[in-house]
Amino acid sequence: MNLNVLICDDSSFARKQMARALPPEWSVDVHFASDGVEGVEAIRGGKGDVVFLDLTMPNLDGYGVLEAIRKDDLPAMVIVVSGDIQPDAQERVKSLGAMAFIKKPIDADKARTVLSEYGIMTGA
Amino acid sequence: MTTSLASLSEDQRDCYQELTNVAMGQAADRLARLLNAYVILPIPKISMIENSDLNMAIQGAHADSRVSAVCQGFIGSGIAGEAMLLFNDTSFASLASLMKYKGPLNKQSELELLMDTASVLIGACIHGIGEQLEINFNQGHPVVLGQHCDVEELLKQGQNSWNKTLAIEIHYTIEHVNIECELLLLFTENSVRTLNKKIDYLLD
Repeated sequence: MNLNVLICDDSSFARKQMARALPPEWSVDVHFASDGVEGVEAIRGGKGDVVFLDLTMPNLDGYGVLEAIRKDDLPAMVIVVSGDIQPDAQERVKSLGAMAFIKKPIDADKARTVLSEYGIMTGA
Repeated sequence: MTTSLASLSEDQRDCYQELTNVAMGQAADRLARLLNAYVILPIPKISMIENSDLNMAIQGAHADSRVSAVCQGFIGSGIAGEAMLLFNDTSFASLASLMKYKGPLNKQSELELLMDTASVLIGACIHGIGEQLEINFNQGHPVVLGQHCDVEELLKQGQNSWNKTLAIEIHYTIEHVNIECELLLLFTENSVRTLNKKIDYLLD
């Protein structure tokens, strides 16, 4: 069964950019969520084994999603993809359980590096 | 004037917003390091506005406060615009203390704080947007529009000839302290057509 990858970002442009940056040979099912509320719902529905998560979003932001995942112990590996590159933001998301942090704008090299570094995609 | 400038499509607006998100994040990072504080990032506002609406928007945001403002032009690849940074005057005391500014806070020292912050925020933001669109923007010299003035007073001097333009508004606040400022990027009418083409290319 394919791994379920969730891209959670309020910008449709950013979701598209993220989807394009995924390694083409990585056989996964890609799902999308346009805010944190939809994101948590998708993760609960088993669509987020790996989550690429934006921070600044309406309704529920990325920090809120991380808190929900931690609170209910949801099975998701979260990679935060954000334009908020302040050192504080990176520390905060790591302390909330995010596995990695990628600075926007995302590109294929950055995605591949993180996926192989954390052993999410073997052979990457 | 053609009608094509009347409004942005939802995809275009979304794309401008995302490019701004990245650029303002880079600018916030520079400011955060300068002040050793955390900058709260808002969702930027992208709109096509009329000259008169712009005045109203700025006045609305700073209705009861005195402000100081700096503007700086930028140009490159057939795109020209103006960045404007408005500071709430109540911000200066906190700003001075975060920058470890010794000495009395007077008009001159406030001017220095204003110019330092403006050069960081405007420079990084313009550079960030340009980088994503592959435009190398050159920046003009910053100009002080006014210190401790009424917003109305401030806007009177800039009755421009343009009708409708693309405005990007970013409202920065700093966590735990009383610092508030507004960065406004305005593009000339002709630039918006060129910019939209670049945006459409990214959206393709």
